[in-house]
Amino acid sequence: MSGVSGHGSSGSEGSPSTQPSRKSPTPALELRRVSKSFGETRALSEANLFVLPGEIHALLGENGAGKSTLVSIAAGRLAADSGEIFRAGVGVRFARARDARDAGLALVPQHDLLVGAASVADNLALLDRNAPLVESARARRARVARLAETFGLDLGRADDRVDTLPVGTRQRIEIAGALAGEPDVLILDEPTAVLSPDETAALFAALRKQADAGAAIVLITHRLAEVFAGADRLTLLARGSTVKQCLISETAAAEIGGLLIAGSGTEDKEKEKIFLEGEESGEPAEGRRGVTRGPDATRPSQNAARSAAESTDKNLEVRNFRPAGTPPKQELLSFSLSPGDLLVLLAIDGNGADAIASAVAGLTPFTGEVRVGGDALPSSGDPLAFRAAGGAFVPADRREEGLVLDLDLAENLALPDPPGRFLLDRAAMQTRALERIVAFAVRAPSPSTRAGALSGGNQQKLVLARELARSPRLVVAIHPTRGLDLAASAAVRARLAEACAAGASALVVTSDPDEAFDYRGGVRVVTRGALSAAVAGGTPPAALGRLMAGLGA
Amino acid sequence: MSVPRRVLVPAAAAAAALVTLASLAVLAGASPLDALGALARGSLGSRAAIGETLLRSTGIVLTAAGACLALRTGVLNIGLEGQFLAGAAAAAAVGPAAAGMPLVARAAILLAAALAGALWVLPAALLAAKRNVPEVLSTILLNLIAATAVGGLVRGALRDPAGDYPQSRALPDALRLEPLFSGGRATAAVLVAFLAAAVLALLIAATPLGLKLRAVGLAPAAARAIGLADGRLKLLAFAGSGALAGLAGGLEVLGVTGRLYDPFAAGVGYTGLAAALLGQAQPVASAFAGLFFAALGAGSSAMQRDTGVPAALAALVPGVLVLAVLAARARAGRRGS
Repeated sequence: MSGVSGHGSSGSEGSPSTQPSRKSPTPALELRRVSKSFGETRALSEANLFVLPGEIHALLGENGAGKSTLVSIAAGRLAADSGEIFRAGVGVRFARARDARDAGLALVPQHDLLVGAASVADNLALLDRNAPLVESARARRARVARLAETFGLDLGRADDRVDTLPVGTRQRIEIAGALAGEPDVLILDEPTAVLSPDETAALFAALRKQADAGAAIVLITHRLAEVFAGADRLTLLARGSTVKQCLISETAAAEIGGLLIAGSGTEDKEKEKIFLEGEESGEPAEGRRGVTRGPDATRPSQNAARSAAESTDKNLEVRNFRPAGTPPKQELLSFSLSPGDLLVLLAIDGNGADAIASAVAGLTPFTGEVRVGGDALPSSGDPLAFRAAGGAFVPADRREEGLVLDLDLAENLALPDPPGRFLLDRAAMQTRALERIVAFAVRAPSPSTRAGALSGGNQQKLVLARELARSPRLVVAIHPTRGLDLAASAAVRARLAEACAAGASALVVTSDPDEAFDYRGGVRVVTRGALSAAVAGGTPPAALGRLMAGLGA
Repeated sequence: MSVPRRVLVPAAAAAAALVTLASLAVLAGASPLDALGALARGSLGSRAAIGETLLRSTGIVLTAAGACLALRTGVLNIGLEGQFLAGAAAAAAVGPAAAGMPLVARAAILLAAALAGALWVLPAALLAAKRNVPEVLSTILLNLIAATAVGGLVRGALRDPAGDYPQSRALPDALRLEPLFSGGRATAAVLVAFLAAAVLALLIAATPLGLKLRAVGLAPAAARAIGLADGRLKLLAFAGSGALAGLAGGLEVLGVTGRLYDPFAAGVGYTGLAAALLGQAQPVASAFAGLFFAALGAGSSAMQRDTGVPAALAALVPGVLVLAVLAARARAGRRGS
C-alpha cells in the first residue's frame, strides 16, 4: 500500500481547508454555489467544491447528498441550474461531455458505459482520447497490455467481449481508459466499490502517481478507511450543500463518520428508528459476531412465535449444485439454511458468488438441486417458481433488474400482483405505498414520484420495501448495500436481520470484508466457485484478504 | 415552453402535414391553397366525404390500436398488414357459409377474423420467445407470405366459381353492414374501431394486466426479476395485437368489400403503425392520428380530380410525420438524459 500512505505529499502544505486563498495554488477545478433540481427534487443547493493540482480529494456524503450530480455537472454531463465552474482559474461552461474532456477533465461514472458487444481492446481504443483515428488491431491489443502494466489494473484479455466480463473488470477498463488520456482532473464515482483490497491499493498507488505528476483527483467513496489512508483533503456534502471541507491530516475519522451518519436534519428521527428496530429484532451485536457455527447447523428459530413444525423445515436446501456456465470441473456445492439463518457469501467479484445467488433465485439455469421451503425449483431457471416457493430477490443492479424506473413508486410497489379485479385499485396502491415509504424510510416527495428520480439508496430501500413485504421464506440479496451510505447500509442490514428474526432465511453476497460480519450471520468465502468453511468473526483482515484472493487462510 | 406536450405534438404534426402537402402541390404545379381546399372538401366537405373518411379510418384505427398494445409491451409487431390480410381471408372463407341470425353470424365471422390475425402472428411470437429471432424481421416476412397467400386463395380454394375475376364468393347481403347515415358509406364498423381503441387505453392505463404489460415493455429485465410472467405477457401482446389487426381485416370484408380479392390491403397495416408512432403508442391519440391519415387518403382523390396533384403525394405525409415525430422524440430524449 505504498501509494496509500503517501498523503500530504503535495498540494496540502499550509493550504487552508475551506476556501482557496492567495497562498494556495489555483484550484484545478472549482465549482461555486452550484444548484440543480430534477423536477420537484432539489439535488444541489449552492454546493461548493474546489480541487487543487496534485491532491487526491475525497467527496463524501450520504446517498442522495448530490455527489454524483455535482461531478456530472463538473464533467459536462449535466447542466447546472445556477452557479459557476472554474477550470484552472478560468470560468468555463461545458455544453457537453466532450468539451469537459477536451479541457482535460475525465469522469469515470459509477455505472460503466462500455460497449458490451465490443472487445476490451476496442473499448479502450474508444475511451483513449489520444487514440489515432485509424489503428491496427495489434496496436489496440498493445494498448491493453500497456495500460494494465502502467496502472497495475487487471483488464482481462484484450479480445474478451466486455459483456462477458465481471463488473469489477469493466470498472477497471473504464478507469484505465480515463487514465490513458492523462487528464489534469480525474473524477472517479465510487471506483472502489467493486474492487478487492489489493486492487484498491493498486488503484490508489496509480492515482497517487498521477497526483504527484500534477493531476487533481476527485474520488467519491463511502469507505472512510480508504479516504483516511489515501486522500489528502475531503469535501462533505449533505442534502445538496457543502457542509465540511478539510484536510485529512487535521481531521479525525470518527468526526467525519459521525457527520456522515448524522447526514441531515429531518431524516434523523427515521434513522434512529431504523437502528432501534435493527437492534431489537436481532440478537445483540456481540452475541452473534464471530459465530463459527456453519450455516448448516440447525438452530432453533429466534422467534418464539413460530411453531416448532415450521422451524425444523429448511428454508433453503442446495445439493450437488453448480450454476450453469461454470467450468464442469468446478466443485459441486451443498448447503442449507434453516429459519433465522443468514449466510453471507464473501467474494471478490468474478469468483462466482453472484452466479450462485442468481441461480438460486431462478434467474439463471443450474445443475443439481435447489429447494426453497421444500419445493424443488426447475433447473432451467424460473423466477416465478422461486417466488411461488416463498423467495424474494434483491438484485445487484437495482436500476436494471430491481425497479421499473419509468413507473412511479406506488406502481413499483404493486408489482408483480397489482391489486384490483378489473380496474387497478389506485387507492389501495397509494395507501400501501405510503405505508411502505414511511416504514422503510424511503425519501421521496410522494408515491407518484418516478422510481428513476430517486437516489440510489432510496431506490434500494424501495426494492427492499417491495421484496420484504411479501413475508418471504428466503431472501436472496446480491450486493444489497453496494453504493449506499453508512446509514442506508445499516438500514438494509437491519431489515434483513428483521426478516430472519421473523423466521425467514437470507443469502447475501458481498465483496466488502469489513461489512460481511456486520450482517451477524455465518460468513463463507467464495473463491472460483468454491465455498470455504464458515469464517470466524475475529479473523484478521490480512488473513481474510488471503482467503478471498484464494491463497488460503 | 409551458405548452403541454399532448397539445404541442399534434398541433406541430398537423402544421407539418399541411406545409408538406402545400409544398408538394407547388412542386406538382398547382396552387397550394386550391390543393388544400380540394383536400378538405374531399375529406370533410359533404356527407359522402365524411363517410369516406370514416370508412377508411376503421382499419387504420384498429391496426393502430394493435400497434399500441405491442409497442407498450416492448414488442415490435411490424406484421399488422399480414394479420389484417389473415383476418380478411378468414372472414371471406367463413362468411359465405354463415347462416342464422345476422348478429350471431357477424359475431362468428369477426371472431374468426380476430383469431386468424392472432394465429398469423404466432410464428413470429414463438420464434422470438424460443429462438431469439427478432420479430421485426419475422413479422415483415409474414406480411409477404400473407400477401402471396391471398393471391393463391382467391385463385384457388376461395375462388368464386360464378365470377370471371380471381376473387372469393360474396358474403350474403343480409350480413353486410348497413350505412351509419344516409349519403355516406361508413358503417358501424368505425364505432367498433374507436370503441376498441378506448377500451385498450383503459386496459393499458388502469388495469392490473395493463400495469404488468407496461412493466414488461419499460424494463424487461426488471419485470423478469420481479416475478412477472414476461414470456406469457409478451405472447399475449403479440396475440392481442394480431387479433386487433385481424378484426380490422374482418370488418373490411364485412363492411366494405363483401369479399376477398387480390391485392387487398394496400398498406392499411403500415398506415396503422405510422398512426401509432405519431400517437406515441397512446391508443386514443393514435386513433385520432389514424382518423387524420384516413382524411388525407379520402381527400387526396378529390385533390387529384380538382387540381391535378397526384393523390400518391398525400401518401407521403404519414411517412414525413412519423420521421418528424421520431426525430423530435430523439432530441427530447437526449436533452432529458
